[in-house]
Amino acid sequence: MTKTINASGVGNAIDRVEGHLKVMGKAKYASEFPVENKVYGQGINSTIAKGEIISIDTSEAEKLEGVLKVITYKNAEKLKAFDEERPELATDSIAPVLQSNKVHYYGEYVGLVVAETFEQAQYAARLVKFEYKKDSDALIDFEKSKSKAYTPDNDSNYSRGNMKLGLSEADMVVEQTYNTPIEHHHPMELHAVIAAWDNGKVTAYASQQIVEDAKIAISGTFQIPKEDVRVISAFVGGGFGSKLNLDRHVIMAVMASKMVGRPVQVTVTRTQMFTNTNMRQQNEQKMRVGAKKDGTLTALSHETLSHTSITQEYQEPCGMVSKMLYNVPNNEVTYKLIPMNLQTPFAMRAPGEATGSFALESAMDEMAWKLKMDPLEFRIKNDTQTDLHENRPFSSRLLVECLRIGADKFGWKDRKAEPRTNKKGNWLIGYGVSAASREAPYQKTHAKVILELEEDKIFATIQMDATDIGTGSYTIIAQTASEYLKIPVEQVTVELGDSDFPITPGSGGSWGAASYCNGARAACENAINTLKNNRNIKGDEEVTVSELLKQNQLTKFEAEGMAEPSAEFKKYSIFSFGANFSEVWVDKDTGMYRIKRMVNVGSAGKILNPKTAYGQIIGGLTMGAGMVIAEQSRVEPNFGNFITRSFADYHVPVNLDMANIDVIFLPEEDKIANKMGIKGIGELGITSVAASISNAIFNATGKRMRSLPITPEKLIEAGLEEGVTA
Amino acid sequence: MKDIDKWKETVNSDNLSDDEKMVLDAMGLNGSSRRKFLKQVSAASLSIYASSFFTSEIFASTMKDLPENTTALLNEIKVNLRVNDMVKPLTLDSRTSLLDALRERLALTGTKKGCDHGQCGACTVIIDGKRNLSCLTLAATCEGKEITTVEGLAQNGKMHPMQEAFVKHDGFQCGYCTPGQICSSVALLEEAKNGEASYVTEDFKNIQSGLTLSEEEIRERLSGNICRCGAYNNIVQAFKEVHSGDDEMPTWEFATQEQMDKAKNA
Amino acid sequence: MRPFTYTSATNKEQALKASTKTSHYLAGGTNLVDLMKEDVERPDQLIDVNKLDYKKITSNEKGGLSLGAMLSNAETANHPEIRTNYPLLSMAMLSAASAQIRNMASNGGNLLQRTRCPYFFETSMPCNKREPGSGCGALKGMNALHAIFGYSDNCIATNPSDMNVALAAIGATVEVQKKDGSSRMIEFTDFHRLPGDKPEKDNTLEQGELITAIHLSKPEFSDHYYYLKIRERSSYAFALISVAAGLQVKSGVIAKAGLAMGGVAHKPWKLSKAEEFLVGKKPNKSKFEAAADLAMKDAKPFEANKFKVEMGKNAIVRALTQAYEREA
Repeated sequence: MTKTINASGVGNAIDRVEGHLKVMGKAKYASEFPVENKVYGQGINSTIAKGEIISIDTSEAEKLEGVLKVITYKNAEKLKAFDEERPELATDSIAPVLQSNKVHYYGEYVGLVVAETFEQAQYAARLVKFEYKKDSDALIDFEKSKSKAYTPDNDSNYSRGNMKLGLSEADMVVEQTYNTPIEHHHPMELHAVIAAWDNGKVTAYASQQIVEDAKIAISGTFQIPKEDVRVISAFVGGGFGSKLNLDRHVIMAVMASKMVGRPVQVTVTRTQMFTNTNMRQQNEQKMRVGAKKDGTLTALSHETLSHTSITQEYQEPCGMVSKMLYNVPNNEVTYKLIPMNLQTPFAMRAPGEATGSFALESAMDEMAWKLKMDPLEFRIKNDTQTDLHENRPFSSRLLVECLRIGADKFGWKDRKAEPRTNKKGNWLIGYGVSAASREAPYQKTHAKVILELEEDKIFATIQMDATDIGTGSYTIIAQTASEYLKIPVEQVTVELGDSDFPITPGSGGSWGAASYCNGARAACENAINTLKNNRNIKGDEEVTVSELLKQNQLTKFEAEGMAEPSAEFKKYSIFSFGANFSEVWVDKDTGMYRIKRMVNVGSAGKILNPKTAYGQIIGGLTMGAGMVIAEQSRVEPNFGNFITRSFADYHVPVNLDMANIDVIFLPEEDKIANKMGIKGIGELGITSVAASISNAIFNATGKRMRSLPITPEKLIEAGLEEGVTA
Repeated sequence: MKDIDKWKETVNSDNLSDDEKMVLDAMGLNGSSRRKFLKQVSAASLSIYASSFFTSEIFASTMKDLPENTTALLNEIKVNLRVNDMVKPLTLDSRTSLLDALRERLALTGTKKGCDHGQCGACTVIIDGKRNLSCLTLAATCEGKEITTVEGLAQNGKMHPMQEAFVKHDGFQCGYCTPGQICSSVALLEEAKNGEASYVTEDFKNIQSGLTLSEEEIRERLSGNICRCGAYNNIVQAFKEVHSGDDEMPTWEFATQEQMDKAKNA
Repeated sequence: MRPFTYTSATNKEQALKASTKTSHYLAGGTNLVDLMKEDVERPDQLIDVNKLDYKKITSNEKGGLSLGAMLSNAETANHPEIRTNYPLLSMAMLSAASAQIRNMASNGGNLLQRTRCPYFFETSMPCNKREPGSGCGALKGMNALHAIFGYSDNCIATNPSDMNVALAAIGATVEVQKKDGSSRMIEFTDFHRLPGDKPEKDNTLEQGELITAIHLSKPEFSDHYYYLKIRERSSYAFALISVAAGLQVKSGVIAKAGLAMGGVAHKPWKLSKAEEFLVGKKPNKSKFEAAADLAMKDAKPFEANKFKVEMGKNAIVRALTQAYEREA
């Protein structure tokens, strides 16, 4: 193990290395690259949910000053089509667009206008007239479309033991359904791209989380060699899953740029962000929990009904958490999907866990209430050190520690078990807890290090096609290089987000930190080892990197490295764990409520930088609070469009919605997970928060809220739960 | 007031002014990064616009000159935009928002487009001392107004204390809402000094100037700037530190061995 | 946005003269520019009136204060005279939108703020307000946020302004300049209208008329006031329901009550019956509840916004209680 020799290596709470650029407005996001001679594209959206385009009139638009091109299916370049019916949406999926007169959902792109200025393009897009033949059987209502549900063929259904037997052994059964609405990621940076062709090769400055997959998607869609595509995502203004796959605005920009012979910038509008990026779909989760009087779980089932699109399939793994979080012998997890006339949903921050935990941890709270048990002790009683789903041990699991340490910090002992008994003026006060788990994947990652010797000092540059979507990648990679090269972080430069750099898995699924840092580590170690080998220096001999370059008579040296999961990695279940505690004050008359404070405890392996890790936790908690407070995208029942079509309708949390959060990291290095002991932390926060708030609302009001979001009107209309004293 | 030529000024990489050196320092560009960076920015004035990032060659392509409209515009307007102590005469489409004029015509991309409809605050700039939304401001209306964007907050190469506090307290993640948050925070310092009230102010009748804002007040008054990454708590800390002058302590900690043992053996 | 010519007026004559059937005056622009981007408002000319000298707060002959139409909401709400004499107005104005928007938005513009009905905003859906005769999408669509009072089959939209609700409670007249150069006064309660069969008209302004001032009634609720705003998040959101409550209490008895509601009708909804009922009563919970029952008696909610009746009652009782208890 390498010891930290400076204040900027791994584990230190240094400021973000790119922070200066961000606060000075000098960090460059996709649409901000100074590409000469660029023009502007504006996408046009369908205004029906299902049917056909029967005529298009582009004449008015084409007459407008500045308009260079109107592209529709009639003149669009032919693109690769899907090889099968409703293929699974993946991060490298092709994204064909403007290929036929068929409309599959409201808001689907049906055209693109290219003009000299943004203003001209925006206006011209409104002047292109589409006439449609509307089909009357569009599936736009979740409730009314349930008969179309099918079981996805992805081996996701699972069972162990005997559910029926487990329920018959139970003294108490909770059987409830929990609903979560369509949610949108809504990163602050609008999805955007500038596409520019030069000598038969295209460069896309695009806001993407996974550069390599974006490159594959472009090359696959246009059927051009990968070498002819370059993707640059140096700064990504938030992603949360929405920029994992390549969406169609990029394809349109690449196509348009080729057609007009100039670089084309396309920015998805905030309203288009509802229909032309992915989303988290609506889920109906039916839970059955059986337990003995002493709190021993006997049975747990988790049935999820979701929707996908007509053209592609995505299934959020909501039941994953129910398979592995608790010690329950009889377990069943099933999925069903309804193909609807909406765009294809995809992963949103902690797909599966964020929504699945809301259902599971609400049901656990309901069971604890029925058993008259402390919900904290109920969870601890059912802890397991074995992943019963995979039938293998966890590499490390400190869930009980998370719960107990959090409870102490929070003052859980002061919680009143009876709802509506903790009051202050017009406020009803409640405490709630939820446990959390999130898989900590780790993937094959390449990196390059360039060492330069200048006046006795080593300057290192790390290059990777990794992205920093706000997660702190620049910083933790710089810290890794600082750690392994034993130089201060000020002498490290990190260059990311360019598909010409070595390939990484990109940012998503909580794999970024572990993958990136181990990749950078491998490159640094390779550099040092090669330099030592060249001079026959023993591996364990302490020589500075500048000394090594000097001994090799070099002023510059480059090395690549690769890291990937070990054989041992595959023998364990590798998860991060956490617990969240919330205090919520509910206004007894208006239904408005305030989160007053939270305590979050996380066991997520080696904390590379507590400052940025704290940011990840509170960020997840804030987005999770949004799930509870107000976030929902609603489909208009007659037209099939999102009636919530702006930031004024889709309410994400604002500053005043949040409150003080104490975060405790457990000291842990999970060496089974990877050599640096890192597990993911980006999705752990959101996993634990929704149920902790709704459980606190129950504790405050005696009202059990099973459908998110919990809005003032829902709280006013809800009745008291059985057994609660008014 | 510097004159219009400032927009055309270029950096001589061999002979940096002290201001420019400080900008580079502030950007964290040292050693070889700095050397490589300077090779690539000769075309653009550092203190004005479009500074590149780090050393990668993809950032080398700074614009040779500010983009001009090549075609005649139907409803052309001429406006002298006074931004960050510099004046630039522009010929614009009457429909152009201040936000698009800054980003697309002046290459001042620090001001961000988050919704383009006044619903997120990412485009916040300071106009005549007040925080405004540049997306709902038509550029045509800005003649004679003093506009400060995030690029203009640093003085003499030194970052504004609010910028420093945002870095120190990690008041951002992806960084996209950050310029708006910072412009908003800087303006809020003045609003507090002026004794302006907010919806959560308890008593509207007895407000003094030189307010010390409570956390609740700060949160309410910064609620017009949405941060989807959820850095609100850090933003509040950064603001508080500048506002009160007192150090704000982080609210994260590591569990002690004692806590771990107690939890395990409970 | 459609093309338009931009004119900056330096005096009222210029502005009035420039105005046509298809022009719009531009003040803060927070609502107008947004709606132009949405292609909902389609002026071919914008007349910038920001240079006009209607930016002062002055005394009026009613014994109250008058607000210049081009003064910003922020400057109005924070004017020491307004905060002291009309804290209810300050509170309502400060509950609206965000600090940035309040810095831009003008008083005159706030009077003209258009509905947030999503059918109005989305040009692919029918809306009689946006496109007369196209139908009301909300009537048989999603109407949880819509009116429970005074709507018609043509339109069930609500007025989104907070300032307007406070003005309805306080009492005011709106001064406008007519195209011929003369001026006229409009009672605030007559300024906004119900949709009836002309939902495209939000108010009673005639074409080309320019708002220059809002004359407030004499201050009566400077001690007992509260603006309650119930919304989906704690700030920067439009109200589901809001209540402006002002009380004047003399010798333990209510001498005057100002009460109005937002989020329930096409115009700020003055609760005149409840106001009258409260006068002469001792301020207490049961009287407040009786006033709330009276106020909500004629509500005609849809299935999706039934909640507004109970929420409305609770809000009235709470606002009155907060107003009364503020300075006992």
